[in-house]
Amino acid sequence: MRFLRKWVLAIALFLTLAFDGSLSFYMHQVLTFKSYSTGSFFLPIAIMLIALFDDVNSKEIWLAFFTGLVADCFFLGILGVNLVFLPLASWLCQKIARFWPETFWARLIIIIIGCVAFQIWNWGILRIVGLAVVPINQLVGSLVLTAVWSIPFFFVSYWIWGNLAQSYPFLIDLDAYRQ
Amino acid sequence: MKKFLQNKKLLTTFVVVIVFFAVLGGSVSLRNKRNTPLLIQSFGNDVVALGARIINVPVGLISGGLTNVNDILNAQNENDYLKKQVTDLGQTKAQNQALRAENKQLKAAIKIKNTLTDYNTIIASVVSRSNDTWSDVLVIDKGSASGIKKNQAVMSDGGVIGRVIEANAASAKVELLTTTDKSANRFAVQAKASNGKVVHGIITVNSDSSLAFSQVNDNLKLKPGTAVYTSGMGGNSPKGLLIGTVTKTMKDQFGLSNLINIKPAGDLDNPSVVSVIVRKVAN
Repeated sequence: MRFLRKWVLAIALFLTLAFDGSLSFYMHQVLTFKSYSTGSFFLPIAIMLIALFDDVNSKEIWLAFFTGLVADCFFLGILGVNLVFLPLASWLCQKIARFWPETFWARLIIIIIGCVAFQIWNWGILRIVGLAVVPINQLVGSLVLTAVWSIPFFFVSYWIWGNLAQSYPFLIDLDAYRQ
Repeated sequence: MKKFLQNKKLLTTFVVVIVFFAVLGGSVSLRNKRNTPLLIQSFGNDVVALGARIINVPVGLISGGLTNVNDILNAQNENDYLKKQVTDLGQTKAQNQALRAENKQLKAAIKIKNTLTDYNTIIASVVSRSNDTWSDVLVIDKGSASGIKKNQAVMSDGGVIGRVIEANAASAKVELLTTTDKSANRFAVQAKASNGKVVHGIITVNSDSSLAFSQVNDNLKLKPGTAVYTSGMGGNSPKGLLIGTVTKTMKDQFGLSNLINIKPAGDLDNPSVVSVIVRKVAN
């Protein structure tokens, strides 16, 4: 079972993907305020946190790419929303992590900006392909809601992804360095 | 041009952007045109749906606990309302039985097997919802192996809530009525005006995500409370599925046709169990 240690992050992301769908379903009314709404963004938060905690493992960008591929197929049936955003966010966060303070509050700022950017990206892509034509005033209201909800999501996932990213880096066997 | 071709970073970015739009356009086209998804996509979706079912057990328990508290608080009001309904139910049931028998006899007399109102149902549970804000897509735990096909109507709590947009082997995606998807198949509906005439139209979505009955072919006014049903036209859903009730009637932005707001009958917010409607008459 030692080989599974290298895949722990991938398995955890798969579970997060399923969890995001379940939470979006059960918490739909809580995540909606008047005509504004947000989604369960545990998955993009996870990708960004992994990159912030481990800024040297470039394989994690590929992990983000394949996670995005599965997420797009499962949630929307079109490729491009998560498939592009997740690896791009992972790459950018790895770059930012090299100069950004490694503190809880500093990382919270990145996550809030990341979630808002994800919401805008989603809106833009779905509007381009005509899958969801939502007016811009509704987007602006939803961005505020997204920023607010990303804070509790960040609080819940920060230590989980911090431990996982540092103890089980993707496709790297830490035991090989210890021996 | 030579400078552009020599700049590797710019060239790579250009190629990536082109590939991105090609993949995006191709996948949207596949989604809209194909009746069944690609085998690999179907398999992947079923695996994630299985994961979602496992995750749903603890999440559902917590959520169910909170819902139970709310249900207990509303029990008295619900009980009073249901008592009133039960008194009418016996009479309606008897009348329904008589009409059904008469309908069967009449169909046999003119040798009709199935009509637009005949359908079967497939019961499924909702396991997931798209995690983005803008697309109203649910994932259910039954797929093509259970007889589910693209474009079938889906009901919950006695009203239509949407349509199947993708049928994998063991799961399916349902797009809700409130979707703003431009390529969505809209339901053809009908309602009875106060003078007894039937008014036809389709279900659309207003900018505030509420439902509307538009493109009405007649200038007749529908009273608030009038029930709106599917008309069976358009080839995908049977006739007589309840969509909702009229709340108010107004003119559209050009002042040409009536725009009728509808309160949906189905549960669009939290439909945990749904019925997929399989029309008996072939499309």
